[in-house]
Amino acid sequence: MDGAHLGYRRRVAPGDAAAAMMPVPLPEALLRGWSRFHPLASLSRKLTIFYAVLFGAAVALILGGARWGIERYAERIVNAEMASGSAVFDRITAMRYTQLGDASRVLASDFGFRSAVATGDAPTIASALDSLQQRLGLAQAFLVGTDGSVVGYRGTLTDRDAAALFDALDAGARRGVLRIGDTDFSAAATPVKAPVLVGWVVFANRLDAAELGSLAQLSAIDLKPSIVSAGALPAGVPLSTDADSPATERLVDGERMLAHATPIPAFGGGEAPVLLLEYSLTRALRDYAPMLWLVLAFGIIGIAVAIVGSWFLAQALTRPIKALERAARKVSAGEHAQVTVTTRDEIGTLATSFNRMVDDIAERERQIAHMAFHDDLTGLANRTLLREHLAMALARLGDDRKLALLCLDLDNFKVVNDTLGHPTGDALLCMVAERLGQVVGDGFVARLGGDEFAVVTSDDGRPLDRLAREIIQVVSSPCTVNGHRVVPGTSIGIAIARQDGDDPTDLLKNADLALYRAKQDGKGGFRFFEAAMDAEAQKRRQMELDLHDAIANGELHLMFQPLFNLGEGRVSAFEALLRWNHPVRGLVSPVDFIPLAEDTGLILPIGEWVIREACRAAMRWPDHVRVAVNVSAVQFRNPGLNAVVLQALGESGLAPQRLELEITESLFIENVEGVLASLHSLRAMGVRVALDDFGTGYSSLSYLRAFPFDKIKIDRSFIIDLMSSKGATAIIKSITTLADALGMETTAEGVENEGQLDILREQGCSQIQGFYFSKPLVEADVAALFLPGGGEMPESAQAA
Amino acid sequence: MFARIALAAATAALFAMPAHAGGLMVKLIDQAGRPVPDAVITVKPSAGIPRGPIRFPWGTSIVQQGIAFNPHVLIVPVGATVAFPNKDKVRHHVYSFSKPARFELKLYGRDESHSYTFKTAGAVAIGCNIHDSMSGFIKVVDTPFAAKSAASGVASIAAIPAGPATVTVWHPRLRARGNEMTWTVPISATGDASRQATLQLR
Repeated sequence: MDGAHLGYRRRVAPGDAAAAMMPVPLPEALLRGWSRFHPLASLSRKLTIFYAVLFGAAVALILGGARWGIERYAERIVNAEMASGSAVFDRITAMRYTQLGDASRVLASDFGFRSAVATGDAPTIASALDSLQQRLGLAQAFLVGTDGSVVGYRGTLTDRDAAALFDALDAGARRGVLRIGDTDFSAAATPVKAPVLVGWVVFANRLDAAELGSLAQLSAIDLKPSIVSAGALPAGVPLSTDADSPATERLVDGERMLAHATPIPAFGGGEAPVLLLEYSLTRALRDYAPMLWLVLAFGIIGIAVAIVGSWFLAQALTRPIKALERAARKVSAGEHAQVTVTTRDEIGTLATSFNRMVDDIAERERQIAHMAFHDDLTGLANRTLLREHLAMALARLGDDRKLALLCLDLDNFKVVNDTLGHPTGDALLCMVAERLGQVVGDGFVARLGGDEFAVVTSDDGRPLDRLAREIIQVVSSPCTVNGHRVVPGTSIGIAIARQDGDDPTDLLKNADLALYRAKQDGKGGFRFFEAAMDAEAQKRRQMELDLHDAIANGELHLMFQPLFNLGEGRVSAFEALLRWNHPVRGLVSPVDFIPLAEDTGLILPIGEWVIREACRAAMRWPDHVRVAVNVSAVQFRNPGLNAVVLQALGESGLAPQRLELEITESLFIENVEGVLASLHSLRAMGVRVALDDFGTGYSSLSYLRAFPFDKIKIDRSFIIDLMSSKGATAIIKSITTLADALGMETTAEGVENEGQLDILREQGCSQIQGFYFSKPLVEADVAALFLPGGGEMPESAQAA
Repeated sequence: MFARIALAAATAALFAMPAHAGGLMVKLIDQAGRPVPDAVITVKPSAGIPRGPIRFPWGTSIVQQGIAFNPHVLIVPVGATVAFPNKDKVRHHVYSFSKPARFELKLYGRDESHSYTFKTAGAVAIGCNIHDSMSGFIKVVDTPFAAKSAASGVASIAAIPAGPATVTVWHPRLRARGNEMTWTVPISATGDASRQATLQLR
């Protein structure tokens, strides 16, 4: 839309008030005020003006064309009339001459008359002429004798005229315009012979204005003929010999005159007279003026009709457009608007499309809103909607009511996803969502993402602990998903409004903490939030921060616990053990900070540091002494592990076979193939791989078969039982036998007394590790062990 | 030539010849230089005309034959009676309105003849009231010295008394009063005077 239109729609905003107070230049103010009356401010006006101008132009063209055409037509008509007028004049005069000539010939051949003429009988001649003149109604009938005498002329004839007349006749003049005195005659003469020429009979008719007028009446238009001498022609009018030659136009007193001059035969010699036909073109055109006025009048009426018609048309066009515009404004304001479809034409189609569009937009908005607030897998509310719901519920919460938020997390859901695939995992989530809905009833259920759900429940008479138990019970009942039998489980953390938080954020955080505790305390249970949980969480966060700084601050160090080779009777390796000496906390147990490091990902830089540090330390040891490093599952999953090992070996110069990586069986729970591939690639570098804590977890002999570990470490729990249970010895025996069969070494952990040592030696265990031999040592003490006289088996260790 | 010899012989035989006499030869042409026939030349010597009746060697009749007068021009002396025999199958009505002789010989048929006696000198135009195209001229003269120009436009008159003479040339179409023009020509006693004239004809 143009500027005028925008101006028209402009509203004075409050901020413009000051500007409005300013004196505005008058034209601008006028423009602003009048912009609504601007002729092009609306489509209707535009259309109307357009058609009015168009029609006006057409009328002007028609008028101009008609005028031009009429003028050309009139000119042509006048020209033709003039040509025919002069032709008619010629014909008529010729006819008159013929009549006159015939009459005179009759007289001239009359014997009696000839006799009278020959004998000079003037009275007889005169009476004969008189008689004929009356009979034929002639102006003149006279006789000119060969001696120059004139008989029978009516009026007076000067000698000069008589002589001229004689000369003309004597020279052979027979017919033409005869001028005697000031009078023009059309005359015809016939010689009288008896038998020789004795005179001429001349018959003449007056060629005056009346005669010419009567001639002019023979023409369709008033031609105004006149006889002039060639010299007396108006300036600029050529003498045309051809009757058909076009007339000349000239201005006479502001009048457009057409003139046509043709010579006519003179009676006798001398200057030929000219027939001048004149006609006023202006007057002729004036006769056509009413026609033009009529065209103009009808044109104006036509313009008026066009204006009215196009106005109505424009109204019919713009009314639905305005309705559409109003509806569109409503829609953009968020209302639902429909326009009435009245016609089946393009505008009707547009209106229908508009309505459909509005409906579609509403539907899409609803979908988008739903998508924004709902989880697309289960159709449950999402986290955002949960927060909204919580905020609203909290705002409405009265003193006498309770509101609780239950956070749920499925137990071991990851195993389902990994082993049965994501589609099954998704189906399980749907199943859980359905079950939750059934249990909670009117309560509000949301899925927070992954396998996390939340339930908001107001006080509905059911104690919260009973509700939690019911939820656990219902969710945990075995089910079949995608043909797989699955036994789900869930843990629940509960936070109560007001008591555990006043806003959704606090409630969610605290319910999460309670859930965390429930998980920690063993799965399949529920916990109410306690203030202590929050404190613990705070502590955990602090420790996280401290651990982050620990590497940089050099608070970490390694201790080395020797492994004694029973066959060789000497120390064959050291297990590197990570220690954190916090300036305030003091020594922090790895049990406390390693899981934290694993959770936060800090285990990666720490693990890398440990490997490099271990390699560096091992370089100072004798060549047969290896170093063993524990590798966490998190590290193992990280694709950078190979590079870290290579770098550590490269930097330190340690032979790869002197580095022993200890992994736990739990590694195999996820992605057996991937783990095996990684192990093989490590092994390809020459690094040794040991299976730690053998027998505690998901011990599967298939792992042993799948990967040729260099060593199996028998968990200390088996060693502790050695002295009290017979079966324990059998287990050790079977493990060592198995290891022997597979070509693997065995290391017994946690050996604390000689009795255990004896049994282990007896059962074929190749190495031992434990306080009985040595507790973990600092690096300096390890070095001392290898000094000359350091001894193969330190006394202190044996004593311990 | 034969006519001349005849004329000379006749005059010599009829009149007492004066002591001195000469001839006149006139050649007439029109504006276009064509010879003019049928012009009548008459000579009146100042010495006077010899006495005695005038006779011409040609006849005194005009025949109507082939819807025409023949001869077209006839010279007769005053007092001569001219006959108008009709040799056409149609009838003619011969008339003259000329002053010297006004007459009408009303319709007469073939092989009929009327005559008229011309008593006054002058030119007489004759016509036929039935046939407008017919015209003839009779030149009535009162002098023996007259001749008609031949087809060559030449006319000769012999034996004119010497001395000045009035020569008149008449032709029906001559553009002049009375259709004639006059010269004064000295006639020598010996030899022929000759004149050539251009006539303005109508």
